[in-house]
Amino acid sequence: MSGAGSTHAAERRLSQLVTVLAFALPVIFVLVPLAIFLVYSFFGVDQGTIVYAPTLGNYVRFFTDPIFLPVFWNTIVLCVSVAVICILLAYPAAYFLTTLKGRWRYALLMLLLVPLLMSYVIKIYAIRSILGLNGFLNKALVALGVLDQPSTLFVFNMNAILLTLSLLLIPFAILPIFLSLERIPQTLLRASDDLGASGLQTFLRITLPLSLPGVASAASFVFVLAIGDFLTPQMVGGISGFTFGRILYSQFGTAYNWPFGAALSVALAIVVIAAILMGERFGRSRGTSV
Amino acid sequence: MGLKKAFLRLATVGLGIGLMTSAALAANLRVLAWDGYADPDWVKDFTAATGIGVDVVFIGSDDEIWAKIKGSEGQDFDVFAVNTAQLQRYIKADLVSPIDITKLANQKDVLPRFRDLSQVSGDTKDGKVYGIPFCFDSIGLIYDTDKVKPAPTSMSVLWDPAYKGKILAYDNGEHNFSFTALTLGYKDPFNLNEEQMAAVKAKLVELKRNVLSFYTTADEAQQIYQNNDVALIWANYGQQQVKALQKIGAHVAYVNPSEGALAWLDNWVISKGVRDNAAAEKWIDFMLTKKVSGELSERTGFGNTVVESSSAGGNDKLVWLNNVEDPLKRSDMWNEVKATP
Repeated sequence: MSGAGSTHAAERRLSQLVTVLAFALPVIFVLVPLAIFLVYSFFGVDQGTIVYAPTLGNYVRFFTDPIFLPVFWNTIVLCVSVAVICILLAYPAAYFLTTLKGRWRYALLMLLLVPLLMSYVIKIYAIRSILGLNGFLNKALVALGVLDQPSTLFVFNMNAILLTLSLLLIPFAILPIFLSLERIPQTLLRASDDLGASGLQTFLRITLPLSLPGVASAASFVFVLAIGDFLTPQMVGGISGFTFGRILYSQFGTAYNWPFGAALSVALAIVVIAAILMGERFGRSRGTSV
Repeated sequence: MGLKKAFLRLATVGLGIGLMTSAALAANLRVLAWDGYADPDWVKDFTAATGIGVDVVFIGSDDEIWAKIKGSEGQDFDVFAVNTAQLQRYIKADLVSPIDITKLANQKDVLPRFRDLSQVSGDTKDGKVYGIPFCFDSIGLIYDTDKVKPAPTSMSVLWDPAYKGKILAYDNGEHNFSFTALTLGYKDPFNLNEEQMAAVKAKLVELKRNVLSFYTTADEAQQIYQNNDVALIWANYGQQQVKALQKIGAHVAYVNPSEGALAWLDNWVISKGVRDNAAAEKWIDFMLTKKVSGELSERTGFGNTVVESSSAGGNDKLVWLNNVEDPLKRSDMWNEVKATP
């Protein structure tokens, strides 16, 4: 009896330990760093050293300085556009995948996700070569007679960032849409067919509404990944593609103004959290109402 | 390159362990330097000529040098390499010893611009010499010889509308403010007043509208050059960058602008904690021999202070980099330039 009691106690202690760890890890590795960031955003900088006295100066500067809000807004618009482009391209691809049978479906899905295995930086380099004045895209367009001479429209501007980010992030859009499409019960589609609906009607009234949760989470995924990116704008954005991520990055590198950088990150984090909540909320309410 | 460095480090560590036993017998000279400044064959020659053993430790950044020297208050090393912009900080913190240049026989034969060290900004304080220059590179202009005719002589070519969209500039506020200040004819590009700052900023907005993109690494500039129509590159990486471009078959040449080219200059300095001052002087004097200095330029592409090299001709005006009045302000204003539509 006593022996069984002690093993019970040991088990209980073990499970308590696991519970504590399960809670402690996210706290230590996620919440504490975020809290440190938040605290830093209320400090200042003087002569290259951080002044640990609370101030609202960083936030006042963010809202009053004429350069930050316009860049912030432009970046949000850019990333929403990236999300829209990704959805428009990923939806047909995911839909096509679900029409495939058996093994082919997952083999093709894997192929579409293969780019995620490559280094991010190498992909940007490659895309930049393709978009350049002597790059593949220009050569192809000139050869096809679409352009008379190579164009600088595709690289070192906002277009380039839009194109590159969309290309890089499409896999993140395909996956959730594919999953939501796959979850739609075949019986619903067959019922719709039995009741005399055309293919288009079935798609518009059954498939599309039921896949919207996947679309919503895909959109929020892509938006969040795009808005946090500073490397793509830095490498293909040139002189007109100046984004919020680049400003943020400069505060930690050359400027050595961590507190202001932290305040800018907080602003970014609020937008990101809002996007995630919206994606989740929209996805869930649509999903449960049917 | 990274692998080579790693191997060198490994070799240094191994050497260090091997030498620990011998260090007990004779105190070796402790040298802290960048990769390429104390190659093994030179160290061997130095030991053969003077009988002084040498332990070299390689560093990878300015901050690392500061951490190592400040961390031990100069006690861990006898000689180290540091650039002129950084040196004043070490002098102020009392981490370096003044150098008696009469002990350096080879210093008399250096190139004219390095002979009078009081004229080299940053090397002296209160009439005492603290740094002996030995390696430098300028930040000049790379131009495509097929596209830019006649050859440019001034950075003002970067504002020439004829080259709109064919220019690569460097993404760094500090340097960009300095070189633009030189182009505008300001005497001290590292200390600008409000009015000058505003003028430089306006000029940089104009520059931005003329360039294709701002690059950060030499590889990046090279890749952009290969895939686009580039005529001019503001060459932050100097000779290394030119040579890399020439290697891939680009028709490019290098020029130091007539208004003065920004340039970094590395010096040998003797730490406060030097154990054998005479040995440290011998090391510096050895580095200033024609053989070692010439080989340094051959191997790294950097300029040296003894033999003429392609980094700068005898008449080129070089402006040694110095600490700027307010790095934070320059960085903020550079963001404003980039954000201007």
